[in-house]
Parts: sequence; C-alpha cells; structure tokens
Amino acid sequence: MFGALFGKECKQILKSLVYYFYILVLALFLSTQLKNPDWIEEIEGPKPNQEHYGMKETHDKNVIMGHTLASLTEEIGRESFSTYPYGFYKGVAPTKDELATMKKIIESCTGKSWDRILEEQEKYYEQFDMTDMSSSIMASENYQVKPREDLTYADFQKNMERVTKIIGKGSYYEKESYESGATVPMSYEEALKEYETMRKHDRVTGAYMRLFCDYAGIMLAFLPMFLGVTRCLRDQRAVAMQVIHAKSVSSAKIILSRYLANVFMAFLPVVLIGFILQLPYCYYAHTLGFQPDYFAFLTYPIVWLLPEIMVVMSLAFLITEMTDKIFVVFIQIFWMLAEEFTTVSLAGHFGMRLALRWNTIGATQDYLAQRQDLYWNRSIYTVIAVLLIAFCVVIYEKKRKEGESLYAKIFKNRH
Amino acid sequence: MSENIEIKIRDLSKHYGSKKALDHVNLNIRQGMFGLLGPNGAGKTTLMKIMTTLTKKSGGEVTVCEIPVEECRKVREITGYLPQDFSMYGNMSAYEALDYLAVLSGMGKRERREKVPKMLEKVNLKEQQKTKVKAMSGGMRRRLGIAQALIHNPKVVVVDEPTAGLDPEERVRFRNLLCEIAKERIVILSTHIVGDIEATCEEIAVLNEGKILFRGTINELLQMVEGKVYTAEISTMEVSKVQKKFLVTGILTTGNITRIKIISQMQPMEQAQLCPPDVEDAYMYLMKYKEYGEV
Repeated sequence: MFGALFGKECKQILKSLVYYFYILVLALFLSTQLKNPDWIEEIEGPKPNQEHYGMKETHDKNVIMGHTLASLTEEIGRESFSTYPYGFYKGVAPTKDELATMKKIIESCTGKSWDRILEEQEKYYEQFDMTDMSSSIMASENYQVKPREDLTYADFQKNMERVTKIIGKGSYYEKESYESGATVPMSYEEALKEYETMRKHDRVTGAYMRLFCDYAGIMLAFLPMFLGVTRCLRDQRAVAMQVIHAKSVSSAKIILSRYLANVFMAFLPVVLIGFILQLPYCYYAHTLGFQPDYFAFLTYPIVWLLPEIMVVMSLAFLITEMTDKIFVVFIQIFWMLAEEFTTVSLAGHFGMRLALRWNTIGATQDYLAQRQDLYWNRSIYTVIAVLLIAFCVVIYEKKRKEGESLYAKIFKNRH
Repeated sequence: MSENIEIKIRDLSKHYGSKKALDHVNLNIRQGMFGLLGPNGAGKTTLMKIMTTLTKKSGGEVTVCEIPVEECRKVREITGYLPQDFSMYGNMSAYEALDYLAVLSGMGKRERREKVPKMLEKVNLKEQQKTKVKAMSGGMRRRLGIAQALIHNPKVVVVDEPTAGLDPEERVRFRNLLCEIAKERIVILSTHIVGDIEATCEEIAVLNEGKILFRGTINELLQMVEGKVYTAEISTMEVSKVQKKFLVTGILTTGNITRIKIISQMQPMEQAQLCPPDVEDAYMYLMKYKEYGEV
C-alpha cells in the first residue's frame, strides 16, 4: 500500500504547475550562476613565476590582527560601519567621540599615530592600479595594518570587544567573524600541493560539485517549501479532507508517502541538473589526463543537499498541517535571509547553517579539514527533519480525530 | 454480512465551546436505511462525524458494530462516509480518484483492479471513468462519492445530505442506489429534504438543536399527526391571517381561492376537512409544537 501511495503522489506531483515552477527557477538560477568551463584554467594547475596563486585561509594570529586592524582603519576612514545584527544589514555611523575612541584603539594596537597609519595606507595603495578590478581586489585582500610587536592576542581581543560595544552586534569585530575571515596569498608550492590534493581527491568533478552544491543550497533553503505547502493544502482546496480522513489508512502512511514523494521529486531535478552541468567537467578532466569522479553529481548532493531538502520540506509539512495556512512561507524566507546576512564565510565554517557555503572551486585541503563539520551538520539536520515529520504525523492524527487544525482550535471564534 | 450490525449511541454529547451541538442523544440504529432528519444546525452532521471518527465526542458512548469510536482505525475499516461537500483532486479522473481512495481504504492492487471498474459500473460512471473530477456534474460527483464510500464493502455507510442540489431525476436515481445497498448493511441518510426520507427510510430520528425529538418508524411519526391535519379553501386575502393563527404546511393559490393545509389539534375553521398526513406534516408538527412543549 505504501508503495502504491508513494507512486500516486509522485504522479500527482508531475501534474503540478508548482513543481514545474520549482524546476524552472532552480534550473535558471543554477545555469546562470554556475560558471561555464572557462574556469578550466583553475584546474590546469599552477605554473612557476605566476603573479598570483590564490588565497588561503589562515589562523595565524598576527595575520588575523593585521587584517582586522586594516578593516577597522578603513571603516573609521569611511566613518561608517557595516553590521548585520539579527541577520539584516544595518549601517552604523559612530559619533565623533566614538570615532576618536576607535582611533585611539588603533593607535594603542599599532603603536603608531592615526596620521602615520593613514600615510602608510596611502603608500600601500599607490603600489596597485586601483582602476583595475582584480588589482584593487588583491590590494584590498592583502592590506594589513601591522600590530605592534608586544601586542598580545588577549589584549587585541579586549580592544575588539571595546569596538564591538561601540558599534553594536553583528560587526566584523566580533570574535567569530575576525577569526574566520583572514586570508593570505598562497605560494607556488602551496598552490601545487592544493592542486595535487584536488586531483587525487576531487578528480575535478568533486571540486565542481561543491560549487554546484553551494549555489543549489541557496535556492533549496526555501524552494522545496512551496511543494510542501501546496501538497498539504491540497486536500482542503479540493474539499477532499473529510473523505480522506475517514479512510482506514494510518496517518503515518498518508504523511510519509506524501513527504517522501515530495522529497524525492524535489531532489530528482537537482541530481539531473547536476549531472548535466557536470558533463563538461568530465570531458575537460579527460583532456587534462584526470580520471573524473563520475558519480560526484550524486554523492555530493546526497550528502550536501538532500538533508536540506528534507528539513525544509518537513518544516513546511509540519507548520502547514498544524495551521492549514501558509505561515511557513514567511518563516522559511526569514530563516533563509537571516542565514545569508549572517554569513561569516563563503567557503566553509559550516556551523549549524542550513545552506552550506563553498563558493569557490577547489580549496580541497580546506574542505578536507572541515569535512567532519559538514557531516555533523548534515547528520543533525537529517535527525531534525525526521523529528519534525514524526511530529507532523502526530499533529495530523490529532487533526483527523478532532476535525480541525491546531490553529483553528486556538483561534476559531466559537459561539 | 449478517452478523451483529448495529450502532449504539448512549447519552452522547458534543460541545463547541459553550454551544451544545448534541445534547444527551440516545439512539440504536439497526440494519437497513435509517433517516436522520432535522433543520440546518440541528446536529446531524456532528452526529455523523462522531460515528465516522472525524470529531471527538464530549461525553457519552458510541459503538459501531460493537467497536467503540475511540478505536478509530477499526471503525474506519467498517464504515464508509460520503460528506455533504464531497469532491476529490480536480485533475484526477473518476477511475484515478476511486483507485486512490481504494488504496487509502487498504485495498491491494489486485483487489482494486477487480473492484474499481465494477463499482464505477454500479454507480453508472463506467462511461465517464476518464472524465476529470473538475469536469464532472454535481450528480456525477455524488455517484463517485457513494462509490468511494462503498468500495471497501463497509458494514456501515453514512451519507450526509446526498441529494442536495441534484435534479429530481438524479435524486431518484441516488435514492434507489441507496436502497439497494441498504439490504445488507446500515445506511444512515442525513437530510433536511423530507421527500428523501419518505421514499427510502424504514426508521428515522428527528433531531433539533442537538436533541432527539422523535425516534421510530415512519408510520409512528405519521400517527403523531393523525387526526390533526386539515385542508380548507379560503380567500387568498385571508391567508396571512390564517398563517399567524395556525401551523400552515401547504398553500396552493388559484386566483382568489387558496387551498391550505393546516395542522391543528382541533378543527381550525368550519370548512376545514381532515386529510391523511404525510411525513412533512409530521415533521413540521414536531418542529413547531415541540418548541412549545406541546406534543
């Protein structure tokens, strides 16, 4: 019976306009965002005496302090700070006194006067052609304001706490932000090692699929919700609720067949699009003498994206069955936006994020170092998805017996 | 299907907040067609939803073929329900919709392959099996509705206002179908159309404001108003005066003369003559005089 229900649900989804809207939005977004195989030079390997070998993340405290003080110098100069408290952008314009206090903090950390720091900044940027985009980006990425030699990390942290108190929540000067944002240029040897790791582990397609999962994850943080809401409201819209509730099939079979069918049908286009977009990289891998990982289009989405689809879908099912309304749309969009605005890093630092970011091609060593965190994150979300859908079964059974949703029970105006 | 088929309702109550939808209802319903008559808001739908486990009762006991309604799954296995507002997913064909509901009734693939076409034929939907639900007429949907209520061969079939909105021909067809299926099971027909009850039901209950006003056979109901139903011809201009004074259940105007039907304990006027009562008269009598406690 379960198989029959699952099959019928899948068939019904194939007749749904919302489903084709989902596929269209997903396909359009991914095809426009994911770069074409012009990125091939990134996987051709580094050559000696190149101008630039890319950047790598560092946990070197001196580099962290240098980058953070540089950021602080630039924002003081602009007299404006970017913060993201509670997930939304908020510009902070400190008062003259507050700016003066922060200048003193910089002077204390560097052992130099503010004017001297500005002079050094000007001299630094004169080395670069700031009209050229890549040059200006490199200049900005590499700019550091060197701390004084006897500045301890603990003192530095205390000073940054003072800055955070002035500016407020959500700034770059909070510990989690400045410790994850420091990068330094790679050397030829480091770039070569990175390339060999990518060749051995990713085999080109793996590296590409991480980028694919990065972009797909942004859309899958909310798109599957529309499928879930549509399915849950369908009985009500079709005036079929009572007749279905009166049948002997268990609530678990009804909800799970619908849920699994929607998860499966939401995941299927992701895999198909991934397969199609991966094809050129399989070909290019061969031309470079690599043996590509042909199944990367499947393995990466299963680990990376499937738990995300599951939890978004189960939340959609639970909230919609509880309320018979579309409240989950607002909840999910808020969650997605909050995540985007509180992004600490576009590559890794997964934490408990729903949409995992890896907006770079390669960085294999970094990825391997953080892979355990990814597995933990996805395992926890899978468990959350299972718990949410189990709770949804309970809610549905209650609704079936009592004839009304929880929302109606609480808010219905009874005589 | 001749084992003990009976629904027992003891002291059943249902409250929605401070409103009493059912007030200490007692009923025994046996095999055959059973009519549940009452005005809108009487509690008929609430009673049926409790019997089909779609609403929880506030108090009392209800057993369906000796199974308490608290054992939802067992009760649902032996009941079929056709709600007042029945429909299915619009993009499904009649066959697909019935097949889907058959799956939800626990039927296997082989069983469905055999029974679904037969059931569609029984309700005269064989020719329209590929018609989408959204393209069906009201009568066709009701027939699909009764098909899904019967597909798993239940012992109890509950139909809520099945003929509302149907044309006379469809209504007769539907009633005949219900009578046919009532031979071996309980069929509870809830309606406020007296004609449906009169044509099909052996026993009935009349419900009003959550209370049972009457329980018994059609003949017993008619006996209540025996000797109390009169017809008279009066001037059309006097009709409104008479309506204010007596319970008028029929008016037929031909020019200046109006033939009226009156229910009264005593002869209402000189020219009034006794006539055989019908179910509608009895129903109106119950509604009017129970209100004043005069039965």
